Amino acid sequence: MNKIFAIAWKDALIRFSSRSELLFFVILPLTFTFIIGGGFSRNQETDNRVRLLVADNANSTLSAEVLDALSKSKTVRAEVMPLAEAEAAFADDGAPALLIIPTGFEVGGQTELELLQAPNNLNAQVAERAVLAVISRVGSALSVANNSVVEAERLQPFASNADRATYFNASLEQAQALFESAPERVEVTEATSAGQPYDPAAQASAGQLITWVFIPLLGISGLFAYERSQGTLRRLLTTPTQKATYLLGTISGQLVIALIQMALLVIFGVFAMGLNWGQSPLALALMLVTFGLAASALGATLGTFIKSEGQASGLSVMLGMSFALMGGCWYPLELFPQAVRTAVQILPTTWAMQGLMDIVLRGQDVAGIMLEATVLTGFAVVFFAVGVWRFKYE
Amino acid sequence: MNKILTIAIKDVTLAFRDRAALILMLVAPFVLTLGLGAVTGRFSGDTNSGLSNIPVIIVNQDEGEIGEIMVDVFNSEDLDELLEPAFANNVAAARSQVEEDDVAAAVIIPAGFSDSLTADGEPVKIEVYVNPARPVSAGVVQSIVDAFVSRLEVGRVSGQVAVTQLVASGLVAPQNAQAVGEAIGQRQAEAGAENSLITLKRASPSADSESVEFDILAYLAPGMALLFLMYTVSNGGRTILAERHEGTLPRLLTTPTTAAQVLGGKLLGIFFTGLAQVGILILASTLLFGLKWGDPLAVFLLVAAVAAGATGWGSLLAAIAKTPAQVSSAGTAMMLMFGVLGGSFGFNFPLPGWLQIAGKLTPNSWGLEGFTALGTGGALADVVTPIIALLIMAAVLFTIAVALFRRQGWAGR
Repeated sequence: MNKIFAIAWKDALIRFSSRSELLFFVILPLTFTFIIGGGFSRNQETDNRVRLLVADNANSTLSAEVLDALSKSKTVRAEVMPLAEAEAAFADDGAPALLIIPTGFEVGGQTELELLQAPNNLNAQVAERAVLAVISRVGSALSVANNSVVEAERLQPFASNADRATYFNASLEQAQALFESAPERVEVTEATSAGQPYDPAAQASAGQLITWVFIPLLGISGLFAYERSQGTLRRLLTTPTQKATYLLGTISGQLVIALIQMALLVIFGVFAMGLNWGQSPLALALMLVTFGLAASALGATLGTFIKSEGQASGLSVMLGMSFALMGGCWYPLELFPQAVRTAVQILPTTWAMQGLMDIVLRGQDVAGIMLEATVLTGFAVVFFAVGVWRFKYE
Repeated sequence: MNKILTIAIKDVTLAFRDRAALILMLVAPFVLTLGLGAVTGRFSGDTNSGLSNIPVIIVNQDEGEIGEIMVDVFNSEDLDELLEPAFANNVAAARSQVEEDDVAAAVIIPAGFSDSLTADGEPVKIEVYVNPARPVSAGVVQSIVDAFVSRLEVGRVSGQVAVTQLVASGLVAPQNAQAVGEAIGQRQAEAGAENSLITLKRASPSADSESVEFDILAYLAPGMALLFLMYTVSNGGRTILAERHEGTLPRLLTTPTTAAQVLGGKLLGIFFTGLAQVGILILASTLLFGLKWGDPLAVFLLVAAVAAGATGWGSLLAAIAKTPAQVSSAGTAMMLMFGVLGGSFGFNFPLPGWLQIAGKLTPNSWGLEGFTALGTGGALADVVTPIIALLIMAAVLFTIAVALFRRQGWAGR
């Protein structure tokens, strides 16, 4: 036991011999969690809606309705300005979209709007969806009024265009009133036993926790390379220390450090982001420990394959980022194609992410995350066995 | 000039012989681009998202025909790839499946929903019971239900307005209103009435309309290339300090080579390495993914400008740091922070104004702007601003770095 503790302590000293390690241990993980979790816009009245430039060349009743509907949008922030100014702002200021309401846009006239979109811009896609929703809403009343006129003409043609327009306007007014007073027919309720509504910051908090802990745990491979290059592993041969003792010491030391790092990130999630991490402390502890074990055992196995510290460092970052990405830590797994969702079941990050999301979003307890914890333990056993089997002192 | 080139070529050769560095210079951005392409569905033909086979459970308790129609909508061919619907009779069992994370949402159509759509019907709500762990899928199900109900509402209002106006104008007698209303409803259903008379024409600043198609990989691939370009330049900066610490730099200065030539060679080596790295990634993604980067000359000039801007940061880092290890740590931190602020991770995170301005100090931001413009049909004229911005960035950072090197003494502190 003393040997294991001594090895673990030595590794901790090596790792934190440079103060810059704190940058990766706590400063960057917290910064990333804060930024990606939308920390700057939490608990503030800041307007994060997508900017939509609007040039109203029509100044008609219909264009006013479009502008009114846009002003109520929850996804875009309409900025109305003259066309020349809007075009200049679109070209120079990086606004994702510009909506042009053409001259003559009115009932019975031109009814095509033009949307200029910045290429390959995700916010431009958001703006397009918002504009489509608005024109569907405003256009529906027009469509209803138009149908009403068609039905009247079916029975008797109008005496004049003025009569037709009067009939259309009366129909439009009634349609607008009916749409305005229409009852809600859809109710959305969220399933959560803990009463915690969905919070995108939960994805960021869990995902960043896994990413920032996984990469240094894979970096255990670098410790092996360092010891080999220093010749200290060869010297260990002369002492009565078994392979398993050495590996256990190295892994347990890094695991404790990882648990401290995870605890800091969880505390940050609770107090800075207001996340509900504490619903089942036992389940949370079980997930963090099993994930830490699986990741550190994988790092130990990796260490038996690589030849230099440089390789270990590069591979840790590359595999860490790739596994985190594919495990759903950066983007929700539900966005992935079915084949990819199935394939990524072989990654420990996928199971860790699933378990943490079960806790923070779905309020699961120990029973609810037992499958994920068991699979992660299985990963740890397999990787540790491979590590012991392949481990060489030179 | 020959000496500067010799030093530069030596550094490029060393960089590309270093297997460990190659992992982060070429393999990592390539693997991550591959991963992002897979998760976004880019390689399975869906260019916008990998969202498919969303599991949803429907409980239809409505005795009327509207509930049946809604079930048909969820079973329709149009939604075949997007949804994987299941049907149940028991509301509690359906809720349980959502709570167990087996499905993204449960759609519960209550008894009396069809009747509630009549003029004197009591409003009854369809419930969408959503899974908080699958917010996007649940949102899709919700939008399908919303769209369906919206069409119902348009049909209801359309029939009501038509009949009311006909009666009000005396074209139809009140006692015939119901029969006329049913006939109108029938006609509208057969015509599949268009909901909106307003149409939207989409356009792009680019003249080439074909290239306006959104390709998520055209955004993600340059993002990853630029992310790891920052690793390459900081690794190059590290070699300047490594040469000092290992004594090869002072030794070099005993030869008839000036300090300015040595530093020039080192910086040119970093620039060439960055240029080669991005060039290789562009070539690989063009050949393997069929990615269109745009006008070759404009792409080359932009890559050169990006490599220059990034090299400026690498040289500044080397001028400020005291040890090679410091350059490595600060370089990795810089790479990641520039990635977030400059948009390399594929999302524009909600940032306050001052951080959005700070993002403009990164080569990632200008590079992405330029690559996006070129990848969607833009020409050289469209990337003049990013190129000039990157060259100004390079000039300012080089000047500061050279001043710092000069103050410290070329061969070390």
